Amino acid sequence: MDFQTLILKLSEYWASRGCLIEQPYDTEVGAGTMHPATFLRVLGPEPWRCAYVQPSRRPADGRYGENPFRLVKHYQFQVVIKPSPDDIQDLYVDSLRAIGIEPADHDLRFEEDNWESPTLGAWGVGWQVLLDGMEITQFTYFQQAGGIDLAPCTAEITYGLERLTMFLTRTRNVFDIEWAPGVKYGEVRKQDEYEVSKYGFEVADTALLTQLFEQYEGESRKCLAAGLVVPAYENALKCSHTFNLLDARGAVSATERVGVIKRVRDLAVGCAKGWVASREGLGHPLLPKEPPAPEASVLEAEEA
Amino acid sequence: MAEFLLEILAEEIPAGVLSQARNDLLRGLADALAAERIEGTFFSHSTSRRLVLFSLDLPEMQDDHEVEAVGPSVKVAFDAEGRPTRAAEGFARGQGVAVEALRVVSTPKGEYVSVRKVVEGRFTSEILAEAIPAVVAKMSFPRMMRWGDGRNSWIRPVHSVVCLIDGLVVPFSLFGVETGRTTFGHRTLAPGRIVVVGVDDYLAKLRTAFVETDYGIRRRVLVEKAEALAAEVGCSAVDDEALLDTLAHLVEWPGLIRGSFDPAYLELPEEILVTAMREHQKVLPTRDAAGALAPHFFAVADHVGDPKGHIVRGNEWVLNARFADARFFWDDDGRIPLEERVPRLARLSFQEKLGDTLRKTERVEALSGRLAADVGLGDLIPEATRAARLARADLVTDMVREFPDLQGVVGGLYARRDGEAESVWQAVYDHYLPAGADDALPRDEVGRIVALADRLDTLAGFFALGLVPTGSRDPYALRRAALGVVRILLEGGIRLDLPAALAAARGLHEVQGATAEEVATSLHPFLLERLRFLLERRGFKHDEIESVLATECPDVTDAAERVAAVAAVRKQPDFGPLAASFKRVQNILAQAGAPAGGELDPALMSDDSERQLASDFYQARGILDELIVARRYEEALSVMASLGPCLDRFFTDVMVLVEDEAVRSNRLSLLAAMRDQFFRVARLSEIQA
Repeated sequence: MDFQTLILKLSEYWASRGCLIEQPYDTEVGAGTMHPATFLRVLGPEPWRCAYVQPSRRPADGRYGENPFRLVKHYQFQVVIKPSPDDIQDLYVDSLRAIGIEPADHDLRFEEDNWESPTLGAWGVGWQVLLDGMEITQFTYFQQAGGIDLAPCTAEITYGLERLTMFLTRTRNVFDIEWAPGVKYGEVRKQDEYEVSKYGFEVADTALLTQLFEQYEGESRKCLAAGLVVPAYENALKCSHTFNLLDARGAVSATERVGVIKRVRDLAVGCAKGWVASREGLGHPLLPKEPPAPEASVLEAEEA
Repeated sequence: MAEFLLEILAEEIPAGVLSQARNDLLRGLADALAAERIEGTFFSHSTSRRLVLFSLDLPEMQDDHEVEAVGPSVKVAFDAEGRPTRAAEGFARGQGVAVEALRVVSTPKGEYVSVRKVVEGRFTSEILAEAIPAVVAKMSFPRMMRWGDGRNSWIRPVHSVVCLIDGLVVPFSLFGVETGRTTFGHRTLAPGRIVVVGVDDYLAKLRTAFVETDYGIRRRVLVEKAEALAAEVGCSAVDDEALLDTLAHLVEWPGLIRGSFDPAYLELPEEILVTAMREHQKVLPTRDAAGALAPHFFAVADHVGDPKGHIVRGNEWVLNARFADARFFWDDDGRIPLEERVPRLARLSFQEKLGDTLRKTERVEALSGRLAADVGLGDLIPEATRAARLARADLVTDMVREFPDLQGVVGGLYARRDGEAESVWQAVYDHYLPAGADDALPRDEVGRIVALADRLDTLAGFFALGLVPTGSRDPYALRRAALGVVRILLEGGIRLDLPAALAAARGLHEVQGATAEEVATSLHPFLLERLRFLLERRGFKHDEIESVLATECPDVTDAAERVAAVAAVRKQPDFGPLAASFKRVQNILAQAGAPAGGELDPALMSDDSERQLASDFYQARGILDELIVARRYEEALSVMASLGPCLDRFFTDVMVLVEDEAVRSNRLSLLAAMRDQFFRVARLSEIQA
C-alpha cells in the first residue's frame, strides 16, 4: 500500500459512510483538529460528518530530513462525526478492513489516551488505537472546544498517514515509503524538510515573527469585533503557527510561554463564541429540516 | 436461592480505573441491597470492555417483616369509659386495621396505642431494578466522559446491559440502554451476539467467544505464558508486577507473544532500552542467565494466537523503530556537550517568581559548594559544583524530551560520554534521588551534596514566597523534597547545621519575600516533622523521639543518634527513676522561676545529700562534656543515670523551696545546672515511666 492509495481508500471509505470530503485548510495548522471543519464544526447542535487530509506543521519537530521518523510537516487523515454514533468503533474497525487490515489477524487495542490543546481551549477523552503494538490512530470524544462544553459530542478519528504507511509496508525510514508507485516520499519531500528545518532553527527572524504575532492578533481581534468569525479564526491560526516558529527558534522563554498561549486561546475562545452566535443567527442550517406541511395546492392537485 | 448476573458492556474502559470500578460496583450494590435486608455473596469480574457482577445465593424475595406504628397516647385514644375516641379510629383507619386491633405499648413518654403490621417482602428483582441504576450513576471516575447527545456522563459509552435473576431479565436501563440477555463476544475474534441464561452459561459462552472475564485468571495466564516462552530462549522475563497488572486489564483474552529486537541496540544504555520497552511500549524486557538484558521481549496481545505472524512482526517493528529513534537522539544529542547546553536552561521556567532553570542551576551550584565545605567535605567542592552545573542540562536534550522519566539518568550518561569525572557523572545521574520514602540515595557524597542543595534551594525558595504546604495540599511536592533532605542527611550520616544552611539557601534567591531568618525558622520545624516520621518508621517510641525533638536540633543526624541512645539506655534499671526525678526537677524549676544563676556556694549547703549531689554532679559534668562533644550519647546517658539514686536521696532529705533566699537559690541553681547539662542530650522529663 503506497501513501496516496491509503489516502484514496480512506477517503472512499468515509465518503461511503456519509462523510463529506473536505479539503486541507489553506493556512498553516499544527494538527488536523485546527481545521475549521473540526474546531468550529464541533460547536453547536448541527450534525456534521466530515473527513479530510490535513498537512500539519510542527516546526520544533524539524530534523533537517535526517531523522527516520520526525517531520516538520506530516499528513493526518481526520474524521469528525457529530453526534458520535453508537457504532463509531465498528465504523472505525471497518475502515481498517478498507485499507487491507483484517482485524482478526491482528492485535487491536484501544488504550486510554486523552487529548488537550491549551491553545484552543479544547480537550477530549478517548484512546490511542494500537495495532500490533503500533499507535495508528488517535480516537477522541470532544468534551470542550474554545472553552465551551460540547453537547452533542463529536467523535474525532485521526490517522497518522506516514506512520501508518511505514507500518503497513514495514519500512524503517519515512523517506523510503512509496508515495505513488515508483516515487518515494523522500523524493517528494526530503529537501522541503531540510529547508524548513534550516529556516525554523537558523534563519527565521524572531523580531519579525514577534511583530507578526502582534499584528495577526490585532487583526483577529478586529475581525471578531466586526463579527467576521472565519477571518478572525484564520488570523488566530496564523498566531498559533507564528508562536510555534518562535518556540522552535527558542525565542519564547518559559515565563512568556504561558502568557502567549493564553493570548492565542483567548482568540480561539472568541472565535468559538462568535461561531456559535453566527450559526444561531443563521438558524442552524444543517439541522434536519422539519418535514414541510403539505401545501394546499398539492392536496388539491391530488384530489383532482 | 436465586442466581444473579450483571454485565455492563462498554467501549474500552481505561486500565487504570478498572479495579476500582469493579470494587465500587460490587460494594455499592451489596450495600444498597443490605439496606433492603438482602444479603448475598457477590463476585466481580472485569475485562477491558466489561464490568461483571454475579451472585449464586441471593434470596428471591425480601423476607416479610413486621413494622410497628405508634399512634396517639392512651389518654387521647380512649375516653373515660374506655371507648376508642375519634383519634383512635382515625389512626386505625390510616393504618388499614380495625380499631379492635390496636394495642397499648409502654414507651418512656407514657402509654400509647400502636399497631403491628406485616409488610410483605418485595421481589429481589424489583429492588435490583431500582438499585443498579442508582449505584452505576453514582460511580465516579477521575475523568468522566460524555458522548452522543452529550446528556450522559460515565467512564465510556455503554453498549449493552445483561441483567438476569434466575434467567429472567431484570428490567431497567442504563444511559438509555435497556437490559436484556444479549451480549457480544471478543471485538475481533467473535464479535457476534451471545444470548445467555445464567452465570455458568455466561462464563462458558464468553470463554468460547474469547473473553475471559476473570481478571485474576488472565493475569495468571500471562505470567505462565511469559515463563514458558522465556524458558524457550533461555531467558527470564523481568519481574514487573505493576506492568503485569496493567497488561491483564488491557485485554479480554490473555494472549502473549515473544518478540526479538536487533541485538545491535544492546549497545545503547540499558536504562533507555528498558524505559522504551516498559513505559512506551508496555512490553516486558528479558534477561539472560547472567542477568544481562537479552534481545527478547514479551508483548500482551488481545488474541488467541498470532495466525499470520503479524502481531510478532508488528511489535518487533515498533520496538526496533523506538530504539532507532533513541539511537538517533543518543547520537544527535552527543553533538553538543552538556556544558554547552547549560545556558539554554534560561528557556525553561523553574517557578514563575523564582526564575528560570539556569538561575536555579546557578544557585544550586553555589549552594553545593557551600554545603560541601559546611559538612567537612571541602575537597569535594570542585566535583560537587561541576555536577550541580550539569545536573539539569539534560532537560534541553531530545532524549529527555522523549523519555521524561529518565531526567538525571540521561544527563549522567551524557556526562560520562562527555568525559566528566566518575563522581561528577554519577552525581548528575543520581541527584533526583531519593524520589520516595523507600527509594535509594545517591550513591556517593558528591551526589548527595548536589541532591541536598537542589532540594534546599527549592524549599527555601517556596517558603520565601510563602508557598507552604497546607493540609493535603502540597502542589510542589515540598514534603517529598523535605523527606529527601532528611533521609540523605540521616542515612548518609551527614552532619549539617540545617538552620544555617536554610538561611544560606534563602540568601541565594533574589526574590522578595520572607527573610533568611524567617525561612530558617519556618522550614526547620517542617524538616523536623519529616525526621519525626522517619524515626517513627524506624520503630522508636513516641516519648524517645519527643524527648530529643524538644531540645535544639540543628543537626538531624545528631538528633537521631540521641534518640537511639535514649532508646538503648532506657532499658537500664536506673534510667526510669532518673526520668521520674527529672519531671520533679522540671516542676520545681517551673514553679520557682529561673534561679539567679552563678557559681554554687558550698557554704550554703547544709545537708549531706545536697553536698553529695553537688560533688557527684561536678565530677560528672566534665565527663559529660567530653562524652557529649564526642557524641557518645549512650555513655553520657548512663553517667546521668548513675546520678539518679543520689538525686532521689536529695529529694528525700532536702527541701528545695525553703524560706532562706540564698539557700533556695543555691539549690535551684544546682538543679538548673544539672538540667541544662543533661538536656543537651534529651529532655529526660519527657520520658514516660
